[in-house]
Amino acid sequence: MPKYSKFTQQELPACKPILTPKWVVSVFFLVGIIFVPVGVVSLLAARDVVEIVDRYDDACVPANMTDNKLAYIQNPNISKDCTRTLTITEDMKQPIFVYYQLDNFYQNHRRYVKSRNDGQLRDAAKANQTSACEPEKTTADGKPIVPCGLIAWSLFNDTYSFTRGNENLTVDKKDISWKSDREHKFGKNVYPSNFQNGLLKGGGTLDPAIPLSEQEDLIVWMRTAALPTFRKLYGRIYVDLKKNDTITVRLSNNYNTYNFGGKKKLVLSTATWLGGKNDFLGFAYVIVGGLCFFLAFAFTLLYFIKPRKLGDHNYLSWNRHPAGR
Amino acid sequence: MDVPAKLPDPVPSPILRHSPSSGSAMSRSLRSVVDMPSVTFAADMRSDSTRGAESTASSFESFRRAGSRPVPGVARLPTRRSASERAGSQRDLRDEDARFVYINDAARTNAPPARFPDNSVRTTKYSVLTFIPRNLYEQFHRVAYVYFLILAALNQVPQLGVFSPVASVLPLAFVLGVTAVKDAYEDWRRHRSDKNENNRTASVMVDGVFRPKPWSDIHVGELVRVVANETLPCDMVLVSTSDPTGVAYVQTINLDGESNLKTRYAKQETMTTPTEALAGLIKCEKPNRNIYGFLATVDLDGRRAVSLGTSNIMLRGCELKNTAWAIGVAVYTGRDTKVMLNNSGAPSKRSRLETHTNRETIVLAIVLALLCTLVSLLAGIWLSDHSDELGVIPYFRKKDFSDPNEVENYKWYGTGAQVAFTFMMAVIQFQVMIPIALFISMELVRVGQAYFMVQDKHMFDEKRQARFQCRALNINEDLGQIKYVFSDKTGTLTENRMEFRCASVHGGDFSETDGGEADGHAVTEDGVVLRPKTAVKTDPKLMAMLKDGTGAKADAARDFFLTLVTCNTIVPIIVDDTEDPAAARRLVEYQGESPDEQALVYAAAAYGYTLVERTSGHIIIDVFGTRQRFDVLGLHEFDSDRKRMSVIIGCPDKTVKLFVKGADNSMFGVIDKTMNPDVVRATEKHLHAYSSLGLRTLVIGMRELSQEEFQEWQMAYEKASTALLGRGGLLRGVAANIERNLRLLGASGIEDKLQDGVPEAIEKLRQAGIKVWVLTGDKQETAISIGFSCKLLTREMTQIVINSNSRDSCRKSLDDAISMVNKLRSLSTDSQARVPLALVIDGNSLVYIFDTDHEDKLFEVAIACDVVLCCRVAPLQKAGIVDLIKKRTSDMTLAIGDGANDVSMIQMADVGIGISGQEGRQAVMASDFAMGQFRFLVPLLLVHGHWNYQRMGYMILYNFYRNATFVFVLFWYVLHTGFTLTTAITEWSSVLYSVIYTAVPTIVVAILDKDLGRRTLLKYPQLYGAGQREESYNLRLFIFFMIDSIWQSLAVFFIPYLAYRKSTIDSASLGDLWTLAVVILVNIHLAMDVIRWNWITHAAIWGSIVATLICVMVIDSIPILPGFWAIYKVMGTGLFWALLLAVIVVGMVPHFVAKAIREHFLPNDIQIAREMEKSQDSHDVTHPEVQMNTMARA
Repeated sequence: MPKYSKFTQQELPACKPILTPKWVVSVFFLVGIIFVPVGVVSLLAARDVVEIVDRYDDACVPANMTDNKLAYIQNPNISKDCTRTLTITEDMKQPIFVYYQLDNFYQNHRRYVKSRNDGQLRDAAKANQTSACEPEKTTADGKPIVPCGLIAWSLFNDTYSFTRGNENLTVDKKDISWKSDREHKFGKNVYPSNFQNGLLKGGGTLDPAIPLSEQEDLIVWMRTAALPTFRKLYGRIYVDLKKNDTITVRLSNNYNTYNFGGKKKLVLSTATWLGGKNDFLGFAYVIVGGLCFFLAFAFTLLYFIKPRKLGDHNYLSWNRHPAGR
Repeated sequence: MDVPAKLPDPVPSPILRHSPSSGSAMSRSLRSVVDMPSVTFAADMRSDSTRGAESTASSFESFRRAGSRPVPGVARLPTRRSASERAGSQRDLRDEDARFVYINDAARTNAPPARFPDNSVRTTKYSVLTFIPRNLYEQFHRVAYVYFLILAALNQVPQLGVFSPVASVLPLAFVLGVTAVKDAYEDWRRHRSDKNENNRTASVMVDGVFRPKPWSDIHVGELVRVVANETLPCDMVLVSTSDPTGVAYVQTINLDGESNLKTRYAKQETMTTPTEALAGLIKCEKPNRNIYGFLATVDLDGRRAVSLGTSNIMLRGCELKNTAWAIGVAVYTGRDTKVMLNNSGAPSKRSRLETHTNRETIVLAIVLALLCTLVSLLAGIWLSDHSDELGVIPYFRKKDFSDPNEVENYKWYGTGAQVAFTFMMAVIQFQVMIPIALFISMELVRVGQAYFMVQDKHMFDEKRQARFQCRALNINEDLGQIKYVFSDKTGTLTENRMEFRCASVHGGDFSETDGGEADGHAVTEDGVVLRPKTAVKTDPKLMAMLKDGTGAKADAARDFFLTLVTCNTIVPIIVDDTEDPAAARRLVEYQGESPDEQALVYAAAAYGYTLVERTSGHIIIDVFGTRQRFDVLGLHEFDSDRKRMSVIIGCPDKTVKLFVKGADNSMFGVIDKTMNPDVVRATEKHLHAYSSLGLRTLVIGMRELSQEEFQEWQMAYEKASTALLGRGGLLRGVAANIERNLRLLGASGIEDKLQDGVPEAIEKLRQAGIKVWVLTGDKQETAISIGFSCKLLTREMTQIVINSNSRDSCRKSLDDAISMVNKLRSLSTDSQARVPLALVIDGNSLVYIFDTDHEDKLFEVAIACDVVLCCRVAPLQKAGIVDLIKKRTSDMTLAIGDGANDVSMIQMADVGIGISGQEGRQAVMASDFAMGQFRFLVPLLLVHGHWNYQRMGYMILYNFYRNATFVFVLFWYVLHTGFTLTTAITEWSSVLYSVIYTAVPTIVVAILDKDLGRRTLLKYPQLYGAGQREESYNLRLFIFFMIDSIWQSLAVFFIPYLAYRKSTIDSASLGDLWTLAVVILVNIHLAMDVIRWNWITHAAIWGSIVATLICVMVIDSIPILPGFWAIYKVMGTGLFWALLLAVIVVGMVPHFVAKAIREHFLPNDIQIAREMEKSQDSHDVTHPEVQMNTMARA
């Protein structure tokens, strides 16, 4: 004898929602009501963000070497210093974020993202753990490289300093990386060793006396970017900038992007709750909201033109064609 | 056809058998005839096939003709006779085809090279040791799993390693593990029941004494002693029984499902030897599946070989009845026994839906191949574009400078190889395009659906306490697409319990049984009260007339009942009253081959004519308390030519009377109509009335024989029954000669009670667009009358009857039928009212049709008819008819039956259903589903079938969709990584996505969701059409789902992509956003399509989203993974939530719009019915009393 319960008889109390016209129109209306204001607010917020972008990789190449940029960047004897002047277009409230932007740099390339060893970064005892770090695994004499791997090897090493007139604008480079990374991912007692000693230098060097947990540029760099065009935080400037202020940037153009056609840009930007200056979200919200309003009206109209009584058994196929199929 | 062929398994000639023990030749032959099981006219075809009496030779032959014709596709049919067997009737069993059994000498029998198995049975598939390899082997029969295995193996190649080794194996291991656990549990249950079976004990002769021994230890050649009501442990040749004549009765219900007793004989030669001294050699055929055939000889030492046949063997699983003990020699043991050979377990069928998924799987495989090709081509282009830079660019670094002396290429095998690797890596990365969890989900869902079908109280048979059984677990959803139902009649539509309902005696109709007492008439014998086991309601007027009436009518009534009680082959058996065993009361149980005769004898008992004893020579009848002895002087068995049966009885008053009963058309030919024209007319009228009620009618007649007539008959009978050639024909002639000028006594109406609710069920099925075909072994008249009573046939229908006796006439009737169908069809185009057609066709015609390849014509006629009734069909013909439809249409077929004769069609049909009724287990064993009553077919198909189909169809589509969505998201990202198969989504989320993140809700929904309530589905059977029209799963829906999937993947990928372009976003954070977005999106998609929300559905869907979040958080809490803490970080930004909301809304809008349009402007029946249900429910709440009215109106 089977046990009888609402469950076994598949008769559990249940809610059976039906998409009635009322529901359809209200849902679209509701989405529209939510989305359009949110979109407008985001658009306004994005508009408030002031962003100054300066591409310097081409400009910083001496005029006589524009045909052979690679030779320029690979020649250690040529000075890489370069000066850029930026004009502030709108008032910028502090903090002002200083980013560098790399274009066409596949930090998400399979060969690249795999080339790291997180165990080694975290624990001094695991310095020899260099698996997956090829081809930057060990030095020629077999000593482990700390931090090993292509990611660390290709550390970005352009530097920037800013002046407004005679006023030096200090760039605060503290706290640019994630706290969680500093505390748990990069060891306090792990020091760089044998780093950037190979035949081919990929980028920046690290001070062997500073533990990895304090090498914030490295930590930022090691958070690999999701997309081939990305920004990374360089530092913050805690000074308000006024419209038409002229900022002089002294930079050392060390990082080689010339061998793969990458672009380097310097970005100064304020921030809002939405992040940087990107009005895509606002537009998306406004458009979707608008579309929903349109759909709400369209459906209202449709329901009005072609009404159908819900649950009318005359609509059942065998009632519509009594002769049968 | 008329030539009585020598039968393959002849019953030992009755005359020879009884020669030592009886006196005159006359009584000898009479006795043997009575002792012999005979076929009466109401018996089913299958009884014909099992009896060996020569008088049934012709019908038997016709069965064999049908049976011997190979039906394509029917490979394992228990009733099929092998060629060697048929040949066996002509020549001896050859030694190389034989098995040698030395009686009572197991050691010699089993000596090499014989080595027969012992009697243990093993139905389990695995042992502890073989479980893992065998189970894996079986699971890898699924091509998909091989595919996933190959990919997992490829992934282990260093150059192709997309996932970490553990992650790559995890999903496959998970699904294999779940399936293995399920299989192990099932096998463990089988193991337990095997153990019980093997440990039963039987009494086996060891060193001259019978000792108890477990069943499993019985060996071929041993003597086994079985007592009454015991089950036989193995197949054994009967050597002696408690009965001096060597008779033993067995019940074969477990074997072929027939509930009546069968007689088995021990050979006189073995009977006479004391059991301990028995020795000899049995030469028998090799084990085979044929339960109706056995061919052997026994050679007792120093004597000649005696042949043995079916009637000398008792098979495992049968029960010994009414015989104190029986001793047999084990000849087939364990897995060689016929019951085990027939126990092939549940057939493995594949559901239509699953077959269809192959098509979509191929489409997806092509899409997968395209994606992979695209990625690898783009990768090749990218590589050749950047070929100069590859050595040094920071994110590729082809060259390894760690050894300054020798700069080597690192992980670089040339552009071509790189492209090939990319392709293979892409396949590994995108592998879930073929949904790995689909198969295990389907299996789990079917288990869940089966659970609910089994638990359904509407399919629980209260009477027999029998639940619904799901034997095949892979065709649940086929129940929702049935177009043809092939039904057996006896025991399926009817209860196979005959009940005497009406009597027409001497022109008077006595059908008023309402006032009569339903208590059987009790008689007293030696102080013991005997009561018939089954009580029959009586008509008080008829009762009174029998008791005290005078005149012609009363005399006729008395003779009428005398005929009923004498003219049969029923054996009364006295059994204890189980209800009240202490009282001095016994029950009389009438055992016989024909349920009709049983009903007649029970009826006679109720009217005061109680059959108390029957031997071969006389019958003792208690007539209203006085015991009378009637001598049986002769008996003419039923045969299909005469269609009647007669006995010649020496009455106590020294008169000799001939009592005849038979089918009306045959009886009216031999009745003297001049004698009592009024009575004849009245009886004819009554007969018509009875058969319109669906009753099985018999006409009763008698004649008093003069001395000369009797003697003349006696001589003819004697001569005929001792004739060596053409005995059957001669006996028929003798019978026909005496059965003439009969006086009509009356007619009886027996009801083969329809099961409850059969007419309603058939009506519902018909409304649901299911064609019901009835295939029965019954004769045409009975079949038609039952057809009427179960509303299969109606008076408005035009019947096309095809019963031909030759090829030509058969072809002609088919052609006529076709022209008639065409004519009616052309008429019906004008008027809306179509003339319903019914085709009635009999087995003989079918033989000709199948022989002469007129199948196409038959098919043409049959599908034009609303109803098809096939009568007098043999088991294999049933399968042939099912095959006729299966081969020519793509429609789903269902066969339902209860007896061994239905096995072939049950296995042939797409869905086979066994009725676990009176006829035992054979049909159930062969079936996919088993249930107690025919009417359960309605909830099974209309409710559960509909649900199963709709749920499963949606689940499969959804599985394709959700995996494709995920793969497309991965794909869009790959286009932004230099085509290098990187994922932002962590590899753990990738592998868990299809087995954990999104698997549970779809399984739960597929088990629990109901598009419509039971009440609605039963009220509008037409809703079943949704399944027949494949509305829940088709290519169009698949394409819609795929378009949706592409759109949603675009929304999931590009909204965050555009928002985070040129930002500091890291891949782990973006990956987490994508993971959550896609999981939420596909769950919302599911939620939007769920029709009934109960708490379990809520828990599964929302719980799954929460579980995903928790999983992502756990993964991001592992510091050595690159994505450490990303989820916490990204969840702290407003942009994350804004994007999530935008993704969900943008992703869902097209689906929502399409749904709103479809449901409102293009509603299907299910949608309308849902709305009706909804308004009904709100009515129920607000106006409970109004609701009653609407119900009544509807």
